This record gives sequence, C-alpha cells and structure tokens, in this order.
Amino acid sequence: MNLILGMDIGVFIAWIGTLLATVLCILYGLYYQFIKKSDEKQRPTSPKEQDKTQEEDL
Amino acid sequence: MDILFFVISMVLFASIFIFLGYLGYKKTKTVEDYFVAGRKMGALLIAFSYGATFISAVALIGFSGIASVYGHSILWLAFLNVFVGIFIAFVVYGLRTRKMGLSLNAMTLPELLGNRFNSVKLQQASGLIIGIFMVAYTSAVFLAIASLFQVTFGIPYWLCVVVFTLVVGIYLIVGGLYAVMWTHAVQAIVMLVGMIILMVGIYTMLGGIGPAHEAAAGLTPEMLKSIGSPAATQAPNGLTSMPPVLSQPFMMVLTLIFGVGIGVLAQPQLITRYLTAKNEKALRLAVPYGGIFILLMTFTAFSIGPLCNVLMYQNNIMYPTKEVAGVMVANPDAVIPTIINELFPSWFILIFLFAILAAAMSTAAALFHTAGASIGRDVYEKSLKRKISPEKSIFITRIATFAIVIATLIISLNPLDVVAYMTAFFFGLMACTFLAPYTLMLYWKKTNRTGVWVGFLFTIAWYILIYFKTAPKIIGTPLVGNYMINMLDPIFIGLPLSFLLTILFSIIIRQDKDEETIMKTSFENI
Repeated sequence: MNLILGMDIGVFIAWIGTLLATVLCILYGLYYQFIKKSDEKQRPTSPKEQDKTQEEDL
Repeated sequence: MDILFFVISMVLFASIFIFLGYLGYKKTKTVEDYFVAGRKMGALLIAFSYGATFISAVALIGFSGIASVYGHSILWLAFLNVFVGIFIAFVVYGLRTRKMGLSLNAMTLPELLGNRFNSVKLQQASGLIIGIFMVAYTSAVFLAIASLFQVTFGIPYWLCVVVFTLVVGIYLIVGGLYAVMWTHAVQAIVMLVGMIILMVGIYTMLGGIGPAHEAAAGLTPEMLKSIGSPAATQAPNGLTSMPPVLSQPFMMVLTLIFGVGIGVLAQPQLITRYLTAKNEKALRLAVPYGGIFILLMTFTAFSIGPLCNVLMYQNNIMYPTKEVAGVMVANPDAVIPTIINELFPSWFILIFLFAILAAAMSTAAALFHTAGASIGRDVYEKSLKRKISPEKSIFITRIATFAIVIATLIISLNPLDVVAYMTAFFFGLMACTFLAPYTLMLYWKKTNRTGVWVGFLFTIAWYILIYFKTAPKIIGTPLVGNYMINMLDPIFIGLPLSFLLTILFSIIIRQDKDEETIMKTSFENI
C-alpha cells in the first residue's frame, strides 16, 4: 500500500484537509481585515445603535 | 511531582479565576452584561471563548484515547472541527445569529427560538431540554479530569470534583459571562501551551512527522496485542489507514465524527458566543483565531493518540486498563496521562495538568452558564406572568445556575462511564433537536411555529427513546459493543427527519399574522 507521510490516502486527505481548512480560516480573516470594507456602519443592527442613529438623525 | 507544589500552583490558578469573577461582578450592571457580556466582545476573546468552550478535557483526553484505538482515521473529526466547527459555524450561522439576536433582543438560543416563533412554550421547552441534558455532558467533563488526577496523583475523585465545582461555580455565578469569557482567554492560553509542548515532545521522540507516522503504520496486530492495545482488532488496516468500509470500526468512527463534527453547529453554549460580538467584523476576525486554536487542539490530540501505541511499544509500557464488573478492559481515557507520566519530565506534567484543568473548567463554566440561563431565564422567568426587574432576572439565573452546579456535583460523584461517547451523545442530541429549527429559522422565511414544534417534539422523543435503549449498554461496558449500531440512528435518521418534518409542516400550515410580522422584524437587518 502506498503511504504519504506514513498515512494512507483516506487519512492523508483528512490530515491535509484539516491544514487547508485552517488556511481557509486565516485567508478569510485576512480578507476582512485588509481588503473588504465592512458595510455594517451603514446598517445599524442593535436597538441601541438604532436609537443612537435616530437621535443623531434628529 | 511534589504534591505541595501542585497544591500551591492550583491555589494560584484558582485565585486568578476568582479575581476575574470579581471583576466580572463589578462590570455586570445589566441583563445583557450577565447573559451576553454586554455584546461588547472583540474577535480574540470570542475565538478563545468559543474554542475553550468547544474543546473540553473530553476532546483532549477522551478523543486522544479513542484515536489510540481506531487510529488516525479519526483525523476526519479534526477536519470537521475546523471546517464545520469554525468556518461554517461563524460564516454561515454566526453572522446571521448575531443580527437576528439583536433584532429580536434575544440572549439565549431558546429565547431566539421563542421570540422568532412567538412562542413562550417553545422557549421553555428548549430551555428545559438544554438544562437537563447539559448536566449529563458536564458530568462527562468531570470524569475526564478525575481520570487524569487519579493516574497522576492518586487524588480521590470526590475531592477533585468538589474543589473543581466550587471554583468554577463561584466565579461563574458571581461574574456572569464577562467572568466566563475572561477566564476562557487565560484558560485557552494555558491549553495552547500544553498541547504545543505535548505535540512537539511526542513527534520529537519519534523523529518527526513522517518517521512517527511510518512507525505507527509499521505496528502489526501482533505488536499491538503484545502491549494489550485494542487497536490490534479495532484498526484492522493499521493505525494510519482508514478501516474497511462498513466494518464495525468504520461505523464507530463515522458515528463519532458526525455526532461531534456536525453536532457542533447547534450547541447552545457555542451559539451564545455569536451574540456577544460587538460588531460583525469581530465575528469575522474570530474565524482565523478560532481555526488556529482548534487546529492546535484537536488536530494535535487526534494525531498523537495513535502514536502513543508506538511509544508504549518502544518503551515496554502496557496499554492502560481498568476493572469493569470484575474484568480488566482497555482504558483509552488513561492513555495520554500514562504516556505523560512515563515519558515526560515532571515540569511538563504540571503544565499538562493545568492545560487539561483549564479545558475542563472552561467547558464546565460555559455549560453551567448556558444551563443556568436556560432554567432561570427561559423556563422559570417565562413562567412568571409579570415583568420583573433586570436585577431580579439576574438573581433568578444565579439561583438556577447554583442549582445546576449542585445537581452536576451530585451526578458527578456517581460518575457515568466512557467519556467520549457521552460527549458524542450530547452533541448528537443537540444537533437532532435544534439544528433544523435553528438553520431554517435563519434562512427560510416560511418556517413557522407548528413546523418547529412537530420537528422538535418528534426528534426529542426519538433521541430519548434511543438513549434509554442505548444507555444501559454504554455505562460500565467495554468500548466496543452494540453502541454504535444504536448511535447511528439518532444522528443519521433523527436529523434528516427533523428537517423534513419542520419543512413539511411549515408548508402545510401557514404562518399567522403575528408570526409574519415577527418574521419580517427578524430579517430586517439580514
């Protein structure tokens, strides 16, 4: 049986898949930290934020 | 190791948490502060709190032990833990949960369900289920700790449980979710340090990743049998290979992987973390921190479990056993403690003990808090026909949390067996009961109260029936039995049925006017 880093293909996919899933998480964070601008400022969601915005509007 | 030195360290460790509990008490002014840490938490605190809640001593000790039996095939669970447990959980569920929670002014999962479907009874029923079954899961957390302390120090089980419960109970009841999340940050750091040293230590002893895995692959059933390892029969294709498809070990691994891997999405104690975020960006940025944390926890634990067989074989250490009904059987829960005790220096034993203690305390605190909120806020407070003040609301939940702590203590002093399976059972139950209504509530506007009630009641009945059929077989019996055949039912049949029934009855019976109005409010910011 062919082993990759001492693992069979089924286990190796899980092994490398876990590492790749972590890389995906890191890339997602980097994207929202440095590239994508948050649109939440335009859409207040909490009741407090809404009240504050209404007060500011008034 | 000097027991006195350990006791002094333990007192210092506990003092930090009690102090953080005091700070939490000073900071807690409103109901929102107590239940969702004022909705003011940043990315790192959310990630650490989510991770420390998610990863208990059960995951570190229990599942490492299971990996020593079934081999590296359990790494699929590590993959699901990161991909589903972090990425899908935060991106697909977390962001919407926070927005809907704000729109509906909900601070717990039952409250979210109750407010979304305009049903106090649904909130109460959900709260009751969570409160009752969380006690069982928490007792599994205690068992993992007791296993470690018995192997390492011979400290009596009851003493360990009483001290542990007192410390967690004090800082949690006094300090609310602020204290829980701050202590989680400290505990997460201790867990990281412990697991990183353990991983580096074991791979270094075995000559690196490739050589370590090759050594594990080279262990024949005869070699495994010579140290008394159950892997001799339960990993028929070797420790670093998948078991034959549809074989008993394959089905067992599949059950554990899906029970825990998918079940994580509907865990009330984890869902609370989304509601604590100060803004959307905090949740998004928690994804990388959480991913790295879970990688270092579960990936490490599941990778080193099978390698413990190699270390035991090379160092002539027998696979740990325990006596069950007069018969000596393999004890996977004691594998990691045995390896650390035999092969690591005493200073690391102390660090690892605190890492495991931190893992258990963090999970127990989150469970107690969620269970207390469920019984206090969702069940009792909603049964009162009048409005009560915020102070009284917090007081009621504190009393309910105290009752939960005492109930867990009583059950833990008469411990249930087989730590990892209890966790899989709890995760599976939560998935069966809550995943369908929770998912559909967030994504399908036509979901209605009747559909949720039918799906909810059917799956609870289904799961509890299976539980009573299964429980006598898992308590006090060896690892492998008919358990997996029974446990396949709830998650693979109960969950799809729950989705099907909820959708079907939501289509057949339409929303009433009130539900429609609330639905529109729920989706206002989404």
